[in-house]
Amino acid sequence: MNVEIAGVTRRFGRTQAVAGVDLEAGPGVLGLLGPNGAGKTSLLRMLATVIPPSSGRLRLLGRDPRGYGPRREIRRRLGYLPQHLGYYPGFTVAEFVEYFALLKEMPPGQVPGAVAAAIERTGLGGQARAKLRTLSGGMLRRAGIAQAVVNDPNLLLLDEPTAGLDPEQRVAFRALLRDLGQRATVIVSTHLVEDVGAACGQVALMDAGRIVFHGTPAELTARADGTDAAGDAPLERGYSAVLAAARNGAGARS
Amino acid sequence: MTAATAPAATPRAWRVPRPAGPARLLRIELRRSPMLWMLPLLAALFWLSAYRTAMNNPPFWTIRAATLQANAMLAFAPLLAGVCAWAGSRDGRRGLVDLVSVTAAPRWAAQLATWAAATIWAEALYLAGVAVLYEVTAHQGAWGGPLWWPVAVGVAMIAASCALGFAAGLLLASRFTAPLAALVAFLALAGGAFALQDNVRYAQIWPLSVQGPFPTDSYGIFYPYLPDLAIAQVMFLAGLAAAALGAIGLPAAAGGRWLRGTAAAVTVAGLAAAGTAVGLAGTARVTAHGIVIPALHDAASDRPTPYTPVCGRGPIRVCLHPAYRAYLPAVTAALGPVLGQLAGLPGAPVRVTQVAVTSVQSARDNGIGFGGPVISGRPPVLHLPLSGLTLPGEGNMSAAQFTSSLRQQYGPLIVNDLVGLPSGAAVGIGVTSVNAAPGARGAAQVAVARALDQIMDLTQVGGGSPARSGAGGSADSGVPPRALQVAAASHRFSALPAAVRHAWLLTHLTALRAGRVTLSEIP
Repeated sequence: MNVEIAGVTRRFGRTQAVAGVDLEAGPGVLGLLGPNGAGKTSLLRMLATVIPPSSGRLRLLGRDPRGYGPRREIRRRLGYLPQHLGYYPGFTVAEFVEYFALLKEMPPGQVPGAVAAAIERTGLGGQARAKLRTLSGGMLRRAGIAQAVVNDPNLLLLDEPTAGLDPEQRVAFRALLRDLGQRATVIVSTHLVEDVGAACGQVALMDAGRIVFHGTPAELTARADGTDAAGDAPLERGYSAVLAAARNGAGARS
Repeated sequence: MTAATAPAATPRAWRVPRPAGPARLLRIELRRSPMLWMLPLLAALFWLSAYRTAMNNPPFWTIRAATLQANAMLAFAPLLAGVCAWAGSRDGRRGLVDLVSVTAAPRWAAQLATWAAATIWAEALYLAGVAVLYEVTAHQGAWGGPLWWPVAVGVAMIAASCALGFAAGLLLASRFTAPLAALVAFLALAGGAFALQDNVRYAQIWPLSVQGPFPTDSYGIFYPYLPDLAIAQVMFLAGLAAAALGAIGLPAAAGGRWLRGTAAAVTVAGLAAAGTAVGLAGTARVTAHGIVIPALHDAASDRPTPYTPVCGRGPIRVCLHPAYRAYLPAVTAALGPVLGQLAGLPGAPVRVTQVAVTSVQSARDNGIGFGGPVISGRPPVLHLPLSGLTLPGEGNMSAAQFTSSLRQQYGPLIVNDLVGLPSGAAVGIGVTSVNAAPGARGAAQVAVARALDQIMDLTQVGGGSPARSGAGGSADSGVPPRALQVAAASHRFSALPAAVRHAWLLTHLTALRAGRVTLSEIP
């Protein structure tokens, strides 16, 4: 298992962002769904080793990230796209991706090829020499994805990766996710259930800091059967049904 | 986006050049450093503060080096602190802290690369400016060779300003940090200046202080330039830079235990170096040839620098240090008429030799006074200090103005020395008192000196100096005032034919100098 979480919590002052999460994930694409404030971003930040858990056990890529050495090993094989992507306006796309490839301590000889491949994979080949300040929001998002995948990570964490992408790019991105998920563990936090349906083999639904559902998209869809849950698509109705059940006190873990 | 699996080779024009690695990281930072945008402004500041000022001064290596250390750094340091604070706050301002903090490379190493890029650009511009200024100085025929210790202080100050600004930017990642850092740097420099003015001993470490109170052309010419203070300043600035750069490697996010231990050691070493340098500056003392810090002093630098003087032609030879070669005609023109009038008199100088500035240190506050010309030796030689004077080409001083100024300033002092009045040596030019030679015999010396001044048209300075202000009394006292008697004797003496006057001086000058001539004995 690339991700093993047991009883992980995270507090920010008086706010309990993550309230005891247990999760295991191997290679494949896991969609992390949930309403605003459910704790998805906090969970992803813990998985990305940005912040440590307040309590609980966390193992990533078979290592405990509390130690500096193992954490550094994890980070070499990690890709992370934060929800709010900052960027250096004066850098070109190629420089931005290369900068992070170097910070990820990729073998120097592999960097040029990896940067070129990441840029191609995210469809930014034509903008490789463009300054980031000149790019649209969607292109910046793709530059962010490029830096996340440049090291061909074993654990890829993407927080709202399709925000700002046009429909054509979203379709292409889902294909990229499926491809990456063949070898790596990809965890995608999103509000867009159609992304989950199209790209994820597994889905976890968070609410109030807990995982209230973990299963396949088909299983999530099936949760709507026999309910009057709202939603335009079957997966949306399953999503609504699980949330409603969780808020009524019925556990919905698959 | 495509789902290609292999990092395919893409022979596109934008392919990242090889080799990559830490050097490539620094190269990216160099290309995107905010300091790049500031280079034109820094160049303009260098031109305004250092180059133009240097060119308005005589081509002495000491003056040029002092300009590089003091003027350029006063202009550079606040700006560099601000720009580096901007660079340091980059990740915080741009919302990149999460992204960069989860990369494998130690955060400290990446931050040092950002700092290094900004610093390298600033250093490169400064050193390019130094090269231009020194090249021009060499072409202007400056005597001796360039001084590198003041340049080293400048290099260290750039590194320190940038390191402190960068650390401030990391600590307080805001768009206001940069102007705040620039303001603090400026105030720190101003505070150092005030402390130096108040003669705080430790303030000698202030990096804009080149050789304390010495005029910039008064050291490094007759004796080697003393690098003691500059060494302490480099140690202080390098220590500050190391402490600031080490401190940013201390937080847990900066790296592993070994790396943070190294950062802590660097911080402690930097603080120790800076503290030691301040302590050393506290032991500094002003000597005749510059500031000496005993623990750093090389006794070999106390030996005079050998040189062959350049001498003019004339009845009384004027010999100057070759560094002052260009001023030989002006000095000869200034002193020639004075010395010509005195030629042949007992004790009158037969030669003029330039000497190093003579100074006296006040034990209490490190202050010094500079001496004037002195006639001594057998045969008598006029020992003439020129350091500290405003030379032709300095500011708006023309050669004619210099000639006139030198004659007015030094002529009366030479006359004073010849007739036995205090010449002002060691207590400041022109501030001697007639009280040093009271009574009627002293008054005779004043009267003769005043007459000679009048004959040689030296009254502008000499006539008004306390040494010539008479010997007490006033017109309202009822008693014939001595001042009036002095004036009358002076008038009498100056009205004599030149040959008679000269003959009287030949026979009476020795007695006059010894104070054995009274006012009534003056013809």
